[in-house]
Amino acid sequence: MLGNEKISAGQMGLLMFFAISASAVTVIPGITGKYAQNDLWLSPIWASIIGYVTVYIAYRLHQLYPKQSIIQYSQTILGSFLGKVVSLFFIFFYLHLTGLIVRGYAEFVVGNFLTRTPISVVMISMVMVAALAVKGGGEVLGRTAQFFFFIFLIPVALMPSLLGSMKLQYLFPVLEHGLKPTFLGAASPQAWFSEVFLMAFFLPFVSNQEKSMRAGMLSVFGTMMLLTIINLFILLVMGRQAGDFLYPVMVAFRYISVADFFQNLDSVVMGIWIIGLYQKISVFYYATVIGTSQLFGLRDYRPLVLPFGILVVIMGFWSVPDQLHVSAFDTFAFPFYGPLVQTVFPLLLLILAYWQKRGQASHAGRTALTDGTES
Amino acid sequence: MKWGLLLGMSTLVGLIIMYEWPKLKPLPKKDKLSFFVLVFMGWFLSLFDLPNLPGPTTMIESLFKPFSKMLE
Repeated sequence: MLGNEKISAGQMGLLMFFAISASAVTVIPGITGKYAQNDLWLSPIWASIIGYVTVYIAYRLHQLYPKQSIIQYSQTILGSFLGKVVSLFFIFFYLHLTGLIVRGYAEFVVGNFLTRTPISVVMISMVMVAALAVKGGGEVLGRTAQFFFFIFLIPVALMPSLLGSMKLQYLFPVLEHGLKPTFLGAASPQAWFSEVFLMAFFLPFVSNQEKSMRAGMLSVFGTMMLLTIINLFILLVMGRQAGDFLYPVMVAFRYISVADFFQNLDSVVMGIWIIGLYQKISVFYYATVIGTSQLFGLRDYRPLVLPFGILVVIMGFWSVPDQLHVSAFDTFAFPFYGPLVQTVFPLLLLILAYWQKRGQASHAGRTALTDGTES
Repeated sequence: MKWGLLLGMSTLVGLIIMYEWPKLKPLPKKDKLSFFVLVFMGWFLSLFDLPNLPGPTTMIESLFKPFSKMLE
């Protein structure tokens, strides 16, 4: 079923980095800006806490059940039937999320550039590319992540070209209304950070296990840094207006004009973010497909990739008539739904698992003792 | 009912089955079954007017409505 796929801990970390940040950089500054106003650069720091917690939980669970993914050990912890129900829910969760991410990506592309293209064309073409990568397997995903990482950071390198229009006074007054707006602004990003739980699907393939916790923590830290830098950049360029835009970073890059020669850099940034979103979508897609094949104990997951592609596109359309609904879900429902499934639930699993293991250990100890006295 | 969509989806599903069948053939029955169930689910769901139907997204949104009020 799984073959001998191996990825390194660093590759897994990069995959997680893309899985969080690729869509976060497009929509998070707008959502956070609505609540946190000119303190929006603080929110990713609070939000990242849930990321660290999630990495810790996923790593501990994997330590207790090595070489198993969440689909497999949830059946060991909760029993066969309940474990299968939970696994099915996890698969549904990631399938649904993949669909919404693809939809969000397509709305982003159609809204900014391809305004006259039918949205289904954009969605289907992206799903087809992601399907090819998923068919290639975890190793392909890991290597493309390594290859695209530095390309993905090019927009950060472009930021200094707007130094001229940055105004430091936008930063002040810091914490005008106390910390509460920054916490409200952290609600959405923390749901994004909880997505790092996807590493539970990749940990069984990691060759150097001892480094996987460090890699996960680093990817959360890197995402936090990236989001903080981008939010700070947006704030310095636009001030409090940042929250009024849907994709403020895109708008900011449209301003760039170096010597009247380097212009329209927004299309370059767009291309780079599409690369990132491809990576994110394929990670989610891969988790869905590999989870299904593990749940049903299939020998090969690859035939399932294309049928799941159809389902992903369907999930992207189902009860989402327009862009407004995508951002409403991201802003209001996902901040609770995401962490509940990806952080709180695994935490319960971990507690149960510890409890079970301790029960087994003390039981084993007692029998050993009685054996000793009897002999 | 959009006949074009039905025709397009049926062609797509047919192409996917034709493409995957050679690789699917040597695999156990369970693999084949789950492949066809998924393909059928996709084909069946695509026949509805999905964007305006209540589905998982609306369900989750209404489930978390009491909490969402905190963010409004």
